[in-house]
Amino acid sequence: MVVSPPLAKVQLDPFDLSWRSRLEAVLASGRAAGASLVEVFLESTDHIGLLAEQDNITNVSPAFGKGAGIRVFLEERDGFVSTNDLSERGLMVALEQALGMLGLERGSSDSSRFDGLADLRDYGQSKQAWLGHCPGLGEATSRLLEGTALLERHGQHLQARRGSYARDWQEVMVAASDGTFARDIRLHQSVGLNALAADGEHRASQGRRYGSSDRPDDLRQWDPNASAAEICASAQAMLRADYVEAGSYPVVLANRFGGVIFHEACGHLLETTQVERGTTPFAEQVGSPIAHAAVTAIDEGLSSGAFGSLSMDDEGMEPERTVLIENGVLKRFLSDRAGELRTGHARTGSGRRQSHSFAAASRMRNTFIAAGPHSPADLIASIETGLYCKSMGGGSVGPTGQFNFAVEEGYLIKNGELGKPVKGATLIGEAKEVMPRISMCANDLELAAGFCGSVSGSIFVTVGQPHIKVDSITVGGR
Amino acid sequence: MGTPLSATAAAQAPGLDVVQLGQQLERLAGDLGIEQWDLGAACSTDTSVQVDRGEAKQLKGAQRSSITVRVWNGDGLVGITSTSDLSKAGLARALAGAKEASAYGNANDTPAFSPLAGAPLQPLDQPIQEPQAILSLLTTLKEAERDLLGRHAAITTVPYNGLAQRASERIYLNSAGACRAQQLSTASLYLYARAEEAGRKPRSSGAVRLAYGAAELDIAGCIDEAAELTISHLDYAPIATGYYTCVFSPEAFLDLIGAFSNLFNARAVLDGVSLSNRESLGDSLAVPFLSIHDNGLHPGNIGASSFDGEGTPVGRLGLIENGVLSHFMHSEATARTFGVAPTGHAGLGAKVSVGPNWFEIGSGATGGGAQGLDRHSADGVVWIDSLSALHAGVKASQGSFSLPFDGWLIQGGEARSIEAATVAGDIRQVLKALVGFEGEAKVTPDGLCPHVWVEGLSITGDA
Repeated sequence: MVVSPPLAKVQLDPFDLSWRSRLEAVLASGRAAGASLVEVFLESTDHIGLLAEQDNITNVSPAFGKGAGIRVFLEERDGFVSTNDLSERGLMVALEQALGMLGLERGSSDSSRFDGLADLRDYGQSKQAWLGHCPGLGEATSRLLEGTALLERHGQHLQARRGSYARDWQEVMVAASDGTFARDIRLHQSVGLNALAADGEHRASQGRRYGSSDRPDDLRQWDPNASAAEICASAQAMLRADYVEAGSYPVVLANRFGGVIFHEACGHLLETTQVERGTTPFAEQVGSPIAHAAVTAIDEGLSSGAFGSLSMDDEGMEPERTVLIENGVLKRFLSDRAGELRTGHARTGSGRRQSHSFAAASRMRNTFIAAGPHSPADLIASIETGLYCKSMGGGSVGPTGQFNFAVEEGYLIKNGELGKPVKGATLIGEAKEVMPRISMCANDLELAAGFCGSVSGSIFVTVGQPHIKVDSITVGGR
Repeated sequence: MGTPLSATAAAQAPGLDVVQLGQQLERLAGDLGIEQWDLGAACSTDTSVQVDRGEAKQLKGAQRSSITVRVWNGDGLVGITSTSDLSKAGLARALAGAKEASAYGNANDTPAFSPLAGAPLQPLDQPIQEPQAILSLLTTLKEAERDLLGRHAAITTVPYNGLAQRASERIYLNSAGACRAQQLSTASLYLYARAEEAGRKPRSSGAVRLAYGAAELDIAGCIDEAAELTISHLDYAPIATGYYTCVFSPEAFLDLIGAFSNLFNARAVLDGVSLSNRESLGDSLAVPFLSIHDNGLHPGNIGASSFDGEGTPVGRLGLIENGVLSHFMHSEATARTFGVAPTGHAGLGAKVSVGPNWFEIGSGATGGGAQGLDRHSADGVVWIDSLSALHAGVKASQGSFSLPFDGWLIQGGEARSIEAATVAGDIRQVLKALVGFEGEAKVTPDGLCPHVWVEGLSITGDA
């Protein structure tokens, strides 16, 4: 193994108590100008991305930066300005712009509208050393090359092999005129392998990505052999697979990343941003059944090491375990500061954003359907003709609740047993219609890391579920 | 050391002090023993507004700056680092980071300066517009929303809307004296309405407009199009699964071609993830009446760049000419491998990405294809207005796609909205199954294209 120093440790000015007076000046100025609430989000980042192709490292891309987002509320309206200039003057200029958006001006001397910041809640104090404990460039590149070599060992007809690794370190500080004053350090790492198999006209590409939060050793504990073996087996199975025949079928969705169906079909519709827009069919359904009684769904930010876990959200609130649906009945929406203000749904520690360039919005964290009483085999056995979706790709949901997602690895089900592999399937439907059709949940809940892009940018999330059965869903194919 | 940077560049990019930036880089690089470097930098000021039923929903402003420095170490290996910190300390950290990263540069594929980084650029007619006050933008958008809501009783909200304007600058410098700078102002408007009638499912559609400034935006046209499309989807029905002749709107066909642009991408070819290979040039890839050019300099390309990430001039390049694969898009490194000139499609990196600028799609000089096509008098034809979820439903390295879409089934000349459906196929078969083009080519944000007829595509519906 190549020995190297850790990845570049960027010595950006730390967010510590020395910021209190500067932030209080901004907040006091904003409140004195008439704002209902002022919030400052400070961010410092240190990123590294690596790419291995075949048996070479082909890209090393470090990046670092800093910035601030200032949000001003006037009752339910808000203005938001982001800047890379963290000087006192830079922050005041940004504040003035945000105030101006609401027709407010700095200049009043009424300082009685702000009582100062509370004591700093410093979630980052115990995380100072994390960056130094992450793998260095030499160690990280060696692990990736080990992965692409294992693809070659396990695979057949491989035309391209890729491994990628990303490490995102983020220090944040949140200060608001309601006294909120909190700091955190976040660490996310993800590693993935991809293989493209080709044999004549037949092609199949498969990949898996693993991710964690707050675990500096995670890349060291990653099992590239298991990843490579799983990917190659999947690529081999799909290489000569026929296209799935289009139609409506009962389907069984595998655990882990199968949870993307709930994320897309229902999770987004339970964010208060959707209530605000009037784009969720569930806005008035709290307390009413919206899913089959077999379904209990949860969103939380607490699972140790999960990609979507947080010590605090991007508005300084500790995350909750939020039961969204219990035995089919809608219980809660995910809410942030603006969501609480505009919809009345209490905050859940779900205010999240990609970076200082985005205002926080209500977003999912670790979202999953709870385990049920059945075995996965029970679900397969209950279907005469249908589709088993072993591996899912990405998906999306539209403004009327229509969702879709791609099946990366599928198998026909015939007479209660798995049959031949099929490719090219896309599952489409509407949340209101599909949620009551999730009739069976197995006992093998597992989570999987992913990225979610929405109104406040791309964020780290976890999806999850046990194997589930959907009684009928439209399968796009050929 | 490179040639001293021209003082004239400063006048071209007043927000980024190109001369000072270049001189700082020269000094800092010298301190670190770096003799060869280049740099891409950008800064922008954005303002945007969103509204919700007559009220301001969010007003947003942003000042952004970013820089990517690339250095060559003593072994000729390349490293990069990016940062949003343009202070002297930030630049020093970036250079040090790039030098550290260069130890892991790929000896088998090392980029160099583009031989065209100093070549003359074609002038672009891009008038710089003064930004409007954000409260003026808000007033404009409120009026647009009110107008759209008044077009039909079923249109109750415009849940996705935005009016934005941007002033931006970008530069490219290298230690051999190349210096590029470009300023730009742009504005955009999008309106996506939601309509619902009693006992029926909600329907949604919308429109987008781009211009060089907010005052130039075709707001009335955007409202008209959003209203027309949304209303047209109110009367919907499921479609039976089967094979149909499809008419792609210009936007939908451009989306499809863009999703499979690895066909023309030399980087993807060299990486083994393209549907083409090094011997594919000259292959008959499509019907003989299809030509696809990439032309980032087309006057319809709002926001066009005159140079790419490596400083290479952008131009017009034939990708498919009369059905034959004619050229690949290149960076400096891929062009050197193929023994051709860079084409103006590069990013900036240790491994340089390659991507399209703006497509022109239509019949070549020879013309051809079915004539007189008219979807408004067709029968049994599916009119695909927009494709969704391309990130999930396109398998670019396999050629296949399965995508949800919004559109209409045309029977006896009558168009009725399709409730929910997917279209699936293989891009290589699509290119061979073109029937012809309908109407004049339309300028869209992604390119120029007429309506495109394709036969034999698989449609999955609920009927």
